[in-house]
Amino acid sequence: MNIIEAKNLCKTYIVDKRQNNVLRNVNLRVEKGEMVGIMGPSGSGKSTLLYCISGMDKITSGEVIFDGKDISKLSKNELSELRLNKMGFIFQQMFMMKNLSILDNVLLPAIESKKESLSRKEKLLKAEFLMRKLGIIEVADNDINEVSGGQLQRACIARSMINNPDILFADEPTGALNRQSSKEVMDELCKLNEEGTTIMMVTHDAKVAARCSRVLYIVDGQIAGEFKNNDPALDQKERERALNTWLMDMGW
Amino acid sequence: MFLRILKKDIKRKKTMNIIMLVFIILASMFVASGLNNVITIANGTDYFFDQARLGDYIAARKGSGEGVATFDEILPTIGEIKSYRLDEVIFSTKDTLEKEDGSELDFDNTLMIQSLEDSGLNYFYVNDKVATVVPEGHFYCSYRFAKNNNLKTGDKIVVKGNDVRLSLTFDGTLKDALFGSDMLNNVRLFLSKADFENYRDNGVSSAGMIGEFAYIDTDDVGAVDVALTEKCPTLMLNRPRSTIKAAYFMNMVLAFITLILSVCLIIVSFVILRFTITFTITEEYREIGVMKAIGIRDIKIKSLYLTKYLVISVLGSLIGFALSFPFSKLLLDSVTKTMVLGNGLGLIPNIIGSLLVVLSILGFAYLATGVVKKATPVDAIRKGQTGERFKKKSKLKLSKSKTNSVTFMAVNDVLSNKKKYITVAAIFALCASFVLVMTNTVNTMKSDRLIDSFSARSDLYYSDQDKQMSFMHEGGNEELQEYVTKVESDLDAMGMPGHVFVDAQYILKVTSNDNEYSVSCQQGIGSTIDMYVFTQGTAPQNMYEIAITPTVSKKINAHIGDTVTVDYGTGPVQTTVTAYFQSMNWMGEVIRIHETAPTNLKNCTSWMAFQINFNDHPSSSVLRQRKQKLIEYFGDKEVQFAWEYQADCIGVVPTMETVQMLLLAITIVVITLVVVLMERSFISDEKNEIAILKAVGFKDRRVILYHMIRFGLATLVAVIFAGAISIPLTYLTIGPIFQSMGMTTMTFAINPLSIFVVYPLIILAATLLVAFVTSLITKTIKSSDTASIE
Repeated sequence: MNIIEAKNLCKTYIVDKRQNNVLRNVNLRVEKGEMVGIMGPSGSGKSTLLYCISGMDKITSGEVIFDGKDISKLSKNELSELRLNKMGFIFQQMFMMKNLSILDNVLLPAIESKKESLSRKEKLLKAEFLMRKLGIIEVADNDINEVSGGQLQRACIARSMINNPDILFADEPTGALNRQSSKEVMDELCKLNEEGTTIMMVTHDAKVAARCSRVLYIVDGQIAGEFKNNDPALDQKERERALNTWLMDMGW
Repeated sequence: MFLRILKKDIKRKKTMNIIMLVFIILASMFVASGLNNVITIANGTDYFFDQARLGDYIAARKGSGEGVATFDEILPTIGEIKSYRLDEVIFSTKDTLEKEDGSELDFDNTLMIQSLEDSGLNYFYVNDKVATVVPEGHFYCSYRFAKNNNLKTGDKIVVKGNDVRLSLTFDGTLKDALFGSDMLNNVRLFLSKADFENYRDNGVSSAGMIGEFAYIDTDDVGAVDVALTEKCPTLMLNRPRSTIKAAYFMNMVLAFITLILSVCLIIVSFVILRFTITFTITEEYREIGVMKAIGIRDIKIKSLYLTKYLVISVLGSLIGFALSFPFSKLLLDSVTKTMVLGNGLGLIPNIIGSLLVVLSILGFAYLATGVVKKATPVDAIRKGQTGERFKKKSKLKLSKSKTNSVTFMAVNDVLSNKKKYITVAAIFALCASFVLVMTNTVNTMKSDRLIDSFSARSDLYYSDQDKQMSFMHEGGNEELQEYVTKVESDLDAMGMPGHVFVDAQYILKVTSNDNEYSVSCQQGIGSTIDMYVFTQGTAPQNMYEIAITPTVSKKINAHIGDTVTVDYGTGPVQTTVTAYFQSMNWMGEVIRIHETAPTNLKNCTSWMAFQINFNDHPSSSVLRQRKQKLIEYFGDKEVQFAWEYQADCIGVVPTMETVQMLLLAITIVVITLVVVLMERSFISDEKNEIAILKAVGFKDRRVILYHMIRFGLATLVAVIFAGAISIPLTYLTIGPIFQSMGMTTMTFAINPLSIFVVYPLIILAATLLVAFVTSLITKTIKSSDTASIE
């Protein structure tokens, strides 16, 4: 069952009176429970695709169907509701409210949301549960500048998960992390995916992309190829190898 | 390379640089005009009096003809007088003037008609040039007379006399050092020499109407006072320069309010500048770190920022310097309508003010760039990137809070950035407290709380100067009695029985400790002494007892129980001081004499209004109806309640109300500037936080509300604080002013609704509105901006 679908998606920027077609007639479908990686060279339109498909950015033409609705036709307020209650976001830079503790940053979207009729106490327990699950409960009361990058990114994941989103969008979630932190973050994302959360993720890292069930390769604003990575017989190393071979074929 | 970095910086950080430039322009404008105003106001009345050649002692007398000694005959005989100048005047009343269409002109005090050409005193045009000529058929007049009658250049009025009817064209107003104050505001009409002589020779019905003013230069005011009292029986005014100066107190209050305002604006400017510079340099930490990392020397990095601030500050200060002149004029406008203010220093204060701003900016910038020297490259980069610090930021716990997320974040932000918001709140509190002090002052002036210091408290007051002047002759006392009896019987006939009385004032010779003085004495006619309020001692019970004000006590060195000789006009009478009282008449220089004291109205110099006390203690609604009836009965004469009469006596209430509104307007302007500029800085600083809030699903209106609440909280704290301190502040700042006008003990009329509700709500509403409009810009920050944030 599709959770999100893009039809003839185009995105054009006008820079210095010159038209720059960043996305050109992109068509894609993401099934519920999938973990889709988006790869491609710098400037190919990966992040733009992620932002357009998630409704964070306006599209120039085409349709993005989410939950049966064309989100390009939704008002700003409806899009905010959607982002608050049905989508989660993780960014390369671990943006957080600097005057709030880690726990409060995680809790903030839950307090703002009216999706679930949970009491504040229950929302707090949920935030703590998520943080415990992600292994950062011990830094709950810390300020954002008192924790490591990996811990901060895991806090961002917890924040994105607090309202039980249908889909999680991640823009290079491990881009600013070291190898160990990167692995920890990916472990958590895979766990979430195994538990049923759909994930779309932009990444430059083949190691990270190898953990996705499907990888899309973008070149010049178009999907140039698709790699299915769902052979259960392959282990992680073999998956990586297969993906790398495919990427080399794509010109990576 | 250096210049290229600078150029790029100015271009790239356009918003913050523009904000900075605007702050500097404002600071330079406030500081330059503020310095100018401070120096100008400090010179104040003395500068005006010196320009006008007012002298050290001012005297006036009336009467002419045979047997009446003129000042030219009297003054040369007084050895202590060094020199003097004279103004010949014709004293007249309201019925002398009318508009061209025959309607009445509005003024209460004595009218003085004189020629400008031979004047001893210098009068000034609105542009502060000495007035020299009035063309024949034209006239100039006092500012308040023109304002009250809405006279425009070219309007015509008629001056009527015995055989003369002069139709004169209004040319403008003149600044008059003697009668320019709010408390001594008699009307002067300046005619051409030919018109004046024509009116004097053919229009004056009695020689008693002709008089003269003398502006005397002396080193011994006391001796001149005594000698004049003795040698000039027709004296109707004799006051030292200090009393005239005191009458300008209210005008100077306005000027000092401007001065305080200027000082406040200077403080606000520097506080905001300090904040902005520290704020903008914090923004640069990362770049400082990068430059250090690639090996650029500290001094080079520092000079890069200092050059940038020098460029912006010089540009801003130049613009601010140019704007400081109209701004200074605007601030002093209410005062310079009736006064000539100046400092003779020209542009110097403004230049110094602007230079001070440039130097301060460079100083602040130098201190703020201290990090360049102290921090390692990594420190600076990390500080810039994550706002790293070693102090805990989050003060509250959302998990433990009961409020919604937006209110929580706003409160938490305020508590986490106390310094930032205390700066905002302090500026707002400072401005708001000025408004509230003014509100308390105006409320007091508009209440009837001070009425006892002018006369007795009554139900209604009415002024009829023509009638009062008609009693100022031998036998006038009997005529006044007849008039009062008639009014009382008419009141009875109209179904509102009441008692009518009036206070008359005389300048009497008083001897205390072998020294002679001329002092204004006030006597109730038709009233009883128990109707007046005395602050200490026992009310005088007969003509041998008097009450004095603390000002008189100081002047004549007499206290309760002392013996003072008073000449009521029938020879010296030994009296005992039995009480003290407060008076705002003649700046507190008044003696109250018993109603039985043998005075004669022919010696009366001025009057208070007629007063009516109804016998049936009417309710306020009945009193309003009676007031209306009496206006008809007295032929459209002004009938006033106690508070109205009090406001009329003080004379500056409308001006004070204007100042109150001006302060409120300036407060709102300052709030607007601070909120706009600070909110723009905050938005620039918090762009990524706003984007992330939107990315996680916060709606635009919630982000705007979050930003509004922060300023709302700072303002709320400011207005509560301002409301609380406004009461002691009123006593501390305005109390001494009333004290110098004769009110030794003063109770202000505090209206809690005004100071804790109405004005705070106005200020809060203004802040929220400005914060709302400014934070609308957050709408342009999109959730997708998270991708492009540095």
